[in-house]
Amino acid sequence: MELQVMDNRLTAIVDLEVYPEPVLFKCLYWYTNNYEVEITKVSTVQLKCTIAPKEASATTDWDYVISRLRRDLVDFKLRQIVSDETKTIRELLIAKAFAYYDQEDLPASGVTDPVGFDPQSI
Amino acid sequence: METVFLQERQTRKFKDSHHYTADTGYTLLPFRFHRLPDEREILVNEIGDYMVLPAGTCARIIERRIDSTQPEDKVLYEDLVAGFFITEQPVPDLLEVIATRYRTKKSFLDHFTSLHIFVISLRCEHTCHYCQVSRVTSDRNKYDMSRAHIDAGIDMMMQSPGRNLTMEFQGGEALLAFDNIVYAVEKAKLAAVKHGKQLTYVICTNLAPLTDEMLAYCKENSILISTSLDGPAFIHDKNRHKPNASSYQLAVDGIRRCREVLGEDNVSALTTNTRRSLDYPVEIVDEYVALGFRNIFLRPISPYGFATMSANRNRYETGRFLEFYKTALDKIIEHNLNGYFIREDYAAIILKKLLTPFPVGYVDLQSPAGLINSVIVFNYDGAIYASDESRMLAEMKDFTFRLGILGETSYREVFYGEKTQALTDVMVNESLPGCSACAFQGYCGADPVFNYATQGDMYGYRPDNSFCQRNMQIIEHLITLMEQDKRIEKVFRSWITGKS
Repeated sequence: MELQVMDNRLTAIVDLEVYPEPVLFKCLYWYTNNYEVEITKVSTVQLKCTIAPKEASATTDWDYVISRLRRDLVDFKLRQIVSDETKTIRELLIAKAFAYYDQEDLPASGVTDPVGFDPQSI
Repeated sequence: METVFLQERQTRKFKDSHHYTADTGYTLLPFRFHRLPDEREILVNEIGDYMVLPAGTCARIIERRIDSTQPEDKVLYEDLVAGFFITEQPVPDLLEVIATRYRTKKSFLDHFTSLHIFVISLRCEHTCHYCQVSRVTSDRNKYDMSRAHIDAGIDMMMQSPGRNLTMEFQGGEALLAFDNIVYAVEKAKLAAVKHGKQLTYVICTNLAPLTDEMLAYCKENSILISTSLDGPAFIHDKNRHKPNASSYQLAVDGIRRCREVLGEDNVSALTTNTRRSLDYPVEIVDEYVALGFRNIFLRPISPYGFATMSANRNRYETGRFLEFYKTALDKIIEHNLNGYFIREDYAAIILKKLLTPFPVGYVDLQSPAGLINSVIVFNYDGAIYASDESRMLAEMKDFTFRLGILGETSYREVFYGEKTQALTDVMVNESLPGCSACAFQGYCGADPVFNYATQGDMYGYRPDNSFCQRNMQIIEHLITLMEQDKRIEKVFRSWITGKS
């Protein structure tokens, strides 16, 4: 990740292979209350993120922001890995949990058998 | 000449079992994590079990660096397996158990709407500056619920699939329309027998108009009393102004009389904490202890109705409320450690979610949200609202959460209609931005009405959402307290078990 602070704004060039788009969006969502955040495509493999304080005159501790951003990106990537890897088992878990809620569908028409077997007699 | 490549002949012989086993050691199960300020992290699994671990452990787990053969990792590895954070099989043997736990956590949905609030009258003799609704002292016909609307409300309540239902009378001041309460209780009693329902009745009142006859009727019908007590007289009387009288004295006298007639467990009190209250956390707690209460509910003021109009007095930062809450909680814990059992209800709700597999039927901390699913409100004018807060918004002429009119709108139209269906998009925190990855998701809830009232958007914007900030900090604080001091954990456990 290339980071540069210029004119009171932080620019980060992010490799999509390292931090995929969902990770970036989930992470930067938490910066949008204090900062103007912009994400643009540089190439098929890179995105550019720009972070600038909402109040242009505000003094920003960019060392802190950079440190927080690096840590948050790692955290959100870890969360994404767990989410991706456990997606199937999570779906299975929820399906099993609520399967009991399914109503047993009774056949709408009478049950018959062409060979003359009467299922009702069982 | 073509070159012929001879391939090794494939056979159907089974390969050694190692061929089929992935070499990752373990498989992840769904969990989320949150960093604590003290360089530790909390891991929470899909069914609400949590572990507090040193920073970096989460990354080690995900990168498969927990080695069960190493002595330093052995216990952690076993805890992670036992706690359903990882599994040694691709599909865990105990998947059914986890699914049952998940289902149990969401089992509050089985009961569907159990709480039915009847705003029996809008009339009130108090002039509280923060009142979230409205108050009118005259025009009984206009501001009391009509008998026709009461009948229709009971009809709708009886259609609830739940067997155990609560009928709660609110105001204004509910006791000013006590004849309507009696009418409603008598009608509901007959209907409950017919429909096989078990009813609990609650009257929310400031206790000022309470008479001996009213108390006798409450006793006869096992009606619970819920009142308001904001703290000592110098806070309560300022918060809850009653012309030419002390609201505090009336409330305290009323609590004493209710206890004598109905029994101690059948009267409860709630605090509403205004900006003024925030300076007196210890005094408020001590007042509850002095009056012999065994529980206290430290609620922040709701951002609705008149409460939003008195901006200077009532709008305070979440940070100030949290400071107040933590100080008050410390005092409550101190009382418990000194041998006096008193529970903080908001903490107890979260602790039950943290420490037990069971759900909590508290409307504000549910996902799917409690509005409509757990509570429905019938306003004095017959309008049906999704929650108590929804009707408070309506008093501000915002009818976004009005679902119909008693006697005109059918049960199906209210509970399964277009408006309700549209609301379901914003009622599940598992899919809300900011909440979906949050470690505390299972302990928290979705509150579209709060989001709408404070941020103009039912989805809410988490980075500066006070519901999110408040709950995140309270949950984190409760976990930290338990981790720091096992005596506090014991106190907290006593709050959810009732045993000290």
